[in-house]
Amino acid sequence: MSLVQISSLKKYFDTVHAVDGVDLEIEQGEFLVILGPSGCGKTTLMRMIAGLEKPTAGQISIGGADVTALPPRKRGVSMVFQSYALYPHMNVFNNIAFPLRAQRREKKYNKRSIREKVETTAGLLEIDMLLDRRPRQLSGGQRQRVAIARAMVTQPAVLLLDEPLSNLDAKLRANARDELKDFQRSSNITAVFVTHDQIEAMGLGDRIVVMSEGKIQQIGTPQQIYDDPANEFVATFLGSPSMNMLSSNHFKFGFRPEHFLPKTLNDNPENARIFHYYVKRVEYLGSDRLVYGYVQGRESELTLAKVPSNVRVSLDVESDYEFAVHNSDLKFFDARSGLRIAEQNLAEAL
Amino acid sequence: MANLALPAFPLDNRRFVGLLFLAPALIYILLLVGFPFLLAIAFGFSDVTVGNTDLSFVGLRNFEAVWENDIFRQVFETTIRFTLISQVFILLFANILAIIFTQEFTGKWFARFIFILPWATPVSLAMIGWLWMLDTKYSPIDYLLLQTGFLGPGGLLSKDRNLFWLASPDLAQISVIFVQVWRMTPLATVILMAGLSSIPTDILDQAEVDGSRFMRTLLQIKLPLILPIMVIALLFSMITMFGDMTVVYVLTRGGPVDYTRVLGLYSFQVGIEGGNLAQGAAISLFAFPLLLAMAIFMLRTASRAEVR
Amino acid sequence: MALLTWILTNFWTLLLFLLVLLIGLRIAWRLRKYGATREEFSYILRRSPFYFVVLIFCFFAVSPFLIMFLHTFKADGDLYRRPQPFIFRQEPTIEHLDALFNNTAYLDFIRNSIVVGVAVVLITLVLSLPAAYALARLTGRWGERAGILMFLVYLLPPTLLFIPMFRIVVLLGLKDSPMSLIVVYPTFTVPFSMWLLQGFFKAVPPELEEAALVDGYNRVEAFLRVVLPLSLPGIISTVVFTFTLTLHEFIYGLVFIADTRQRTLSVGVPTELILGDVYFWQPLLAAALIIAIPVGLAYNLFLDSLVQGFTMGAVKG
Repeated sequence: MSLVQISSLKKYFDTVHAVDGVDLEIEQGEFLVILGPSGCGKTTLMRMIAGLEKPTAGQISIGGADVTALPPRKRGVSMVFQSYALYPHMNVFNNIAFPLRAQRREKKYNKRSIREKVETTAGLLEIDMLLDRRPRQLSGGQRQRVAIARAMVTQPAVLLLDEPLSNLDAKLRANARDELKDFQRSSNITAVFVTHDQIEAMGLGDRIVVMSEGKIQQIGTPQQIYDDPANEFVATFLGSPSMNMLSSNHFKFGFRPEHFLPKTLNDNPENARIFHYYVKRVEYLGSDRLVYGYVQGRESELTLAKVPSNVRVSLDVESDYEFAVHNSDLKFFDARSGLRIAEQNLAEAL
Repeated sequence: MANLALPAFPLDNRRFVGLLFLAPALIYILLLVGFPFLLAIAFGFSDVTVGNTDLSFVGLRNFEAVWENDIFRQVFETTIRFTLISQVFILLFANILAIIFTQEFTGKWFARFIFILPWATPVSLAMIGWLWMLDTKYSPIDYLLLQTGFLGPGGLLSKDRNLFWLASPDLAQISVIFVQVWRMTPLATVILMAGLSSIPTDILDQAEVDGSRFMRTLLQIKLPLILPIMVIALLFSMITMFGDMTVVYVLTRGGPVDYTRVLGLYSFQVGIEGGNLAQGAAISLFAFPLLLAMAIFMLRTASRAEVR
Repeated sequence: MALLTWILTNFWTLLLFLLVLLIGLRIAWRLRKYGATREEFSYILRRSPFYFVVLIFCFFAVSPFLIMFLHTFKADGDLYRRPQPFIFRQEPTIEHLDALFNNTAYLDFIRNSIVVGVAVVLITLVLSLPAAYALARLTGRWGERAGILMFLVYLLPPTLLFIPMFRIVVLLGLKDSPMSLIVVYPTFTVPFSMWLLQGFFKAVPPELEEAALVDGYNRVEAFLRVVLPLSLPGIISTVVFTFTLTLHEFIYGLVFIADTRQRTLSVGVPTELILGDVYFWQPLLAAALIIAIPVGLAYNLFLDSLVQGFTMGAVKG
């Protein structure tokens, strides 16, 4: 049985449907990422798991017990906030010890066991030399570790992380991502990580939940989500630059810029779809060339191609070329509902 | 030395516009506060009265006369005692009320209106209400106590039908302190509310997830975080109260005897009503070092709060 | 009038009835919304001590005002013979209200207070708007020092300054004229509103002014056209609190003006409506209440804004 089970969860703020019927199961030990644009309800969903927000309807259970009506302290969860929310008037030791002290009666901690736990956890996160410092004497990366240590020290069933990497600068972020993943794997804790950054999501998640407008759009491994999007939203939300989307009569079809390559590079032209492509502008990005242009007959829809730089094909601006996409890389969507539809029959209809 | 020439584009220059904007207010204040303040000091060292307006220097004579005056010493002590005792209650109630009013509850708007009234009403007018409440003969409080058997023949508090709130030395002092607490608690509460609502919600959510309950969050998170603002609220109301004479002017005029006479009132009675401007000025100047010390302490606390 | 009589004679019953009715309605509403479950009842039970504390504090705060209200309408006989302050044994009367407005200088006091208040608010705005902006944005360290100096001035109590101020007022020939108050009151209203306005100005994103500078305005125009309109709510609440500060002031008003018809409300009411030992209680209490209610409403309306200005000014300094 799954560790966390969420069924038909709803949260309405007056007329705004922040979370609008979410069903989700989270497995023991997995790293689940909730991905979506800002305002999609992902943070509200997490706050409901934490118990900070009371659901309008629906149920949450953790470890088989219904926790919907329980306050946060009875749920066995802990949380790392985007701002880290370190208590500014306490040193690192007291920050980490705070949840232990708060629960000392229920869990029967004493002074010694608290000290031991704090020191062990601080050691794990390599912040044991900072225990006497105040939060404002710490760097961004150190603060993040303190926040994680404080969340881990009670050995929660679920660790909730609300965009904890977004306050770090780009250089630190890649490193912190790697450490976080290592740490999660070695401690085998169940982590739920909320982010709007797809690179973070792809890199960290065992599974990704894509949310939009309060609803789950798709759940799957990073590869499933990227290669096999369930609908138009997921297809265009993931990938940078995003998937080209062209409309046909009663459906739309899309293909990713990196799959849209000059015909001469295509090893299997009979299984590919050929487009007449007018190149308007080329951006040289180092590893790739990003090509802006139009497919013939669809001059109103800007179509992008991402051609690796090591491919020595010359692409001149304001010229026509033949580009191809593998049939298997073409995705079809219903024009009205945006849902994915079966490809074979449509490929011929094109 | 500062460059006195006009900068090339004066209205685009930060310093120039800053100076231009600040100057009128600064000059007005310096002129109308700085000059009287210096004059107060000059008065303190002179023999000026309402009738005799030429200032002739008399050295420390006024201050000596004031300091050796037993009434002054008692007044000074009373002022400090009233201020300190009332602050304890103000701070206690203000904390409770600030916590109440930073929560959501039914009828909050109306409760807040009622509770702000004592602060919103001009002090001298509110004191009229209290003058009646504490009236020697008709006090509604006495009436209630009489009906409940605390007063009157066989009463617990007094055999009399009245307590004589403003006529007995102890009760008059208690009354003045009570009324001061009544009227100044709202201001301290508002300042503390500002402090409480400036605590980031993340911190409070974090405490909740960490398993902290109401009292722990209050004592270990909220109160330490608003400590600097609490000091500001405290000093603010101390300074206000230290310089106040309105309450006692309306309620007791300093009586009975001298029991509720405070510094401001005494200075008014000697300087204006008694016509001895020099001594009146000397009396109020005694308050200055104390006020200055409080103000400096307050500003230091405030600036330390910013660093965090 | 009949309605008023009925309200007054049944005042306490009505008050109690209203309170019980409101509490009852609130509970009924909750039960309807969340269902009459046992959890709901225990929630209501747990919550009630909180409301009880609120009620107690409210009672302490409001008791003098309730008494003021009741006594406004008491006939002399009812007031002085065999005191019974809480109920009416004689028909309530409005003759004292009538007397207050027609036979005393109350209306003069109100007029003087408004004249002084409006004039002082105008002077204060002219002086403090630019100065607060300078402190918030334009000046560096020296401006900060000037700001601290101003703040210290605000803390100087009138009891320290009224004697030399009195001399100056006499020298300027302003004694017994509301002009004296108009000149002197800005000494405390300007620092107060500078401090508050500075907080509101800091809340305006600096990028907006920078955009205005780039768009071709100079700093003065940027202030007038961008910052002022954006901080209008803050400015309005500063106006309200400045006005009430002038309404509250007592000592200068008492010292500078001895002429009855020239006095302001806070001084006039407690000094002029008392003749020697004779207190005209009903008009006195009515005079106080009539001012207290609108000022209280104004405070409550602008309190959130004041708290915000205070937080920005003091905490983010």
